[in-house]
Parts: sequence; C-alpha cells; structure tokens
Amino acid sequence: MRHILVGFAAFTRSELANLFQYRVMMFLYALWDVVNPIIYLIVWSLVAGERQISGFSRDDFIMYYLVFMVVSHLALAIEVYTFGPLIERGQLSPRLLRPIHPWWHAAAVNISYKVVNLIMLIPVWIGLFLVLRPAFPGDWITVALFLPALAAAIVLSFFIGSLFAMLAFWTTRSFSFWQIWTSLLFLMGGQVAPVAVLPGFVRDVAVALPARYALGFPVEVILGQLDAGELVMGFAMQAGWIALAALAFAFVWRSGIKRYSAVGA
Amino acid sequence: MRLARIAWAFLRSAVQHELAYRADFFGNVVRSLLGTGTAFGGLMVVFSHTESLGDWNFPQMLGLLGVFYVVQGVMAVFMSPSLNKTVEEVREGTFDYILVKPVPSQFIASTRRFVLWHVTDVALGVAIIVIAAGRLEDKVTLMDVLVFLAMIFTALSIVYAMWLSLTTLVFWWVRMENVTMIFNVFYETGRYPVEIFPFWLRQALTFIFPVAFITTVPARAITGREASWLTWIAPIVAIVVVLAASKFWRIGLSRYSSASS
Repeated sequence: MRHILVGFAAFTRSELANLFQYRVMMFLYALWDVVNPIIYLIVWSLVAGERQISGFSRDDFIMYYLVFMVVSHLALAIEVYTFGPLIERGQLSPRLLRPIHPWWHAAAVNISYKVVNLIMLIPVWIGLFLVLRPAFPGDWITVALFLPALAAAIVLSFFIGSLFAMLAFWTTRSFSFWQIWTSLLFLMGGQVAPVAVLPGFVRDVAVALPARYALGFPVEVILGQLDAGELVMGFAMQAGWIALAALAFAFVWRSGIKRYSAVGA
Repeated sequence: MRLARIAWAFLRSAVQHELAYRADFFGNVVRSLLGTGTAFGGLMVVFSHTESLGDWNFPQMLGLLGVFYVVQGVMAVFMSPSLNKTVEEVREGTFDYILVKPVPSQFIASTRRFVLWHVTDVALGVAIIVIAAGRLEDKVTLMDVLVFLAMIFTALSIVYAMWLSLTTLVFWWVRMENVTMIFNVFYETGRYPVEIFPFWLRQALTFIFPVAFITTVPARAITGREASWLTWIAPIVAIVVVLAASKFWRIGLSRYSSASS
C-alpha cells in the first residue's frame, strides 16, 4: 500500500509539472465546461421566467447551472483521450513494466488535469457567482451531503471513462462509443436540464441510468430539492453503479490486457 | 481558373483518400446521427416546458439547428482540415514548401485538405431544415429561400474569415495546436438564437465572435421570420471581414521565419 501512495504522489507531482506547461491550452479545453452550462442557464432562466418548472424557479436554475459548472469539470472523465491512445499506439508497454498498476498513473493524470485548470477556473467561477448572485436554496446539511455525492460522482465517472478507454483493446472506434456516453450525459445526466425537469418517462429512465450519478446528482443534492427517500435512493444508486463499474473495470482490464500482449502492439 | 483546377485536384485526392477507408464512413454516419439526434432530444426537453424560446417556436428552432449543422459540416469539410494542417506546418517549419509554390499562399493554406465524411453533417442539416420548413405555420416562399442561400453564403464567408484569422495567429504564437477547439467552444452558442442572450453577451456574439451572422441570421430567413437589420448588413460584414482576414494573413506571413532561424 505504501509504495502505491509514494508512486501515486510521484506521478501526480510529475504530471502537475508537465501539464502546467500547457495551462493556457488546457484552460481552453476547460472552457467547454464553462460555456455549455451558461447556455443552458440562460435558456432555462428564460423558459422559467416568473413561474416554477418542476419545482425549479429561475434562481434555482441559475444556481443549478453554476454548481453544475463546477461539478461537470471535477467529475470529467478524460481517460478516452489520455489512456485510450496509449493502448492504440502500444505506448502502454513501458507502463506495464513499472511496479505499480498503470491506472494509478491514469488517476494521477486525471487529478492533475483538474488541479491545473482550477487555477484559472476558480476566478471564473467566483466571478460568475458574483455577477449572477443567485439565492442559495440549500443549507449546511445539503452542503455536507454534497461532498460525498461529488466524490462518488468523480469516482464513478473515472471508472466509466476508463471502461470506454479500454474499448481500445478491441476496437479502433472507441471514440464512437464514447460519444454514446457523452450523449447520455447530455440528455439524462442533468446537462440539458436538471433530471427533475425532464419529461415523465425520460426522467424515470434517467433516474435508473448511471449518467445522473456521475454528473447531475451532486448538484441536485446541494440544491436541497430531494427529499430523504430520494437522497437515500440516490446515494444507494451511486454506490451500486460504482460497485458495478468497478467490477466491470477489473474484468475488462484483465481480459483487455491479455489481448494487448497477444496482439503485441 | 488555374486555382480552380488546383482545388479540384485537392478535392479528388481527398475523395480517393476517403474511399480507401470506406468502413470508417459508416461509423462516421452513426456519429453524425447520434450528434444530431442528441441535439434534437435536447430541444424536445426544452420545448416540453415551453411553446417558444425568445419568440422562436419549435419548428423555427429546428431550422436553426439545421443551419448549425450545415455550417458546422461545411467548416469541417472545407475549412478546419486545411487550416489546422497549416498551423502544424508553421510550427514545424515545413510551411516553407507551401511558400515556394507558385500559387498564393492563402489559397493553398485554405484548400489543400478536405475531410469529406463530414458531408453527412451537411446532409443531416439540410434534412432538418427541410423538415422544419414543412412544419412552419407560414409557407416558405421562393424569396425566403433566395435570401436564405445568400445568408448561408455570407455566413460561410464570415466563418472562413474567422478561421483564417485564428490560423494566422500561429505566426505570433507558435503553440496554437487547437484552433479548432477555440472556435468550437464559442460556436456552441450558435445552437440558440442570439436574441435569447443577455445584452452584453448578445453584443459579443454579434460583433466580437459573430455567431449571430453564422446561424441566427440564415435561420431567420428560412423560417419565415422578419429580416432584422442584421440581415441587411450581413453581406457588408462578410466582405469586410474576408478582406481584413486576408490582409491579416499577409501581415502574419511576413513574420514567418521558418523553423531553423
């Protein structure tokens, strides 16, 4: 265990230094996570006007998308771009020789990417909060519940992103599959609208699928609009999907890595 | 005439290149369908709670979405591949080979590479526009179509000028790998009519990053909405920005110093 921590810390340090060189470029990537929520913030505050939509007032939508902006960045999965290409180009080989699992490196890249972006994103976020000044409908309990929900979303998102990245062991088209996941996140993860606002049956589907738990759920938690039952259910779903994704992760890695050595790429 | 022949040769070679990877084509069609389908689903969600968005009704918004994909497709076929390649070559110094050719550098930098499979986006965009036009309350007149075609043309000219200008920045900042991305981030705002944005943002999206001229203005024409003053100034804006971008390219070019020096 200790050598994993030491290795992980070393990876994180070196990746931070590495990514810091590209901070401007990375900030441009991160702008995606800023511009998109702003568009939907504007769309929904226009649609809401003075009325309430499925329990969301105009202010709630503004708050939702401001928090969503933060969550969508922190719970972003980048493994299809960072780890997938290693498999495709055969660059995984040297990493397999190290006395630490390659996914520790991938996790370090994931964390470093977000930390480096925070330097520029935090001022943007604070600026937007100050400009829009939405009323915060939650309280300290919802804030306290938000943190584990966010952590779970980050972990789930990482596992799912990794699963899609590992499709590269079998196909050169892993990006097409990844697009299915991003579409799901968009429609049912809380991006185009909070899950509560989705029309009837779509909402029921969204509550069952993992997208919400990897993205929108923490935002719903902090806004304090879920009752106790929905909260318990939501956390249980997060835990369930994480367990499932972790199992799939272990299985896919094991069978994928066999293929990798067999191909010898 | 000679330039047209050269562009034709580039296009032919792109077709041959694409035909070599036919299997990819199917995957790309699926991706395009998924993209437009997702966007359509998003619109459905928004319109499940409202009749109109900033006085654009559902078929009109659909028309706007179609325009968005047509422009995006044309960009991805004809503009971004060549200009991204140029950025790469300037960085690596191989741009020398372009300069020594007896053809204007701007022409060759903007035409020599096409990625044809994105025509699926154009086709889907056109299909969406046709469907939207059929569901409008008022019939689309011939005049609407003519104004629309003119507006699409100005939109594409403006887009080209923007691409060229962004590309030209590479002569100052060598590390400009991802011009495509910068553009795409802001282009996303073109999925919605510019009128819905708050005042300052609307001004920025009209005059700084003129996405208003790129999607809103053509969509207004085809969905039978009254032409705004933006429609009338669009051709002038297009001419001015294309000339300015071309001038900017030449200024940038004079700074090019190859890789070794």
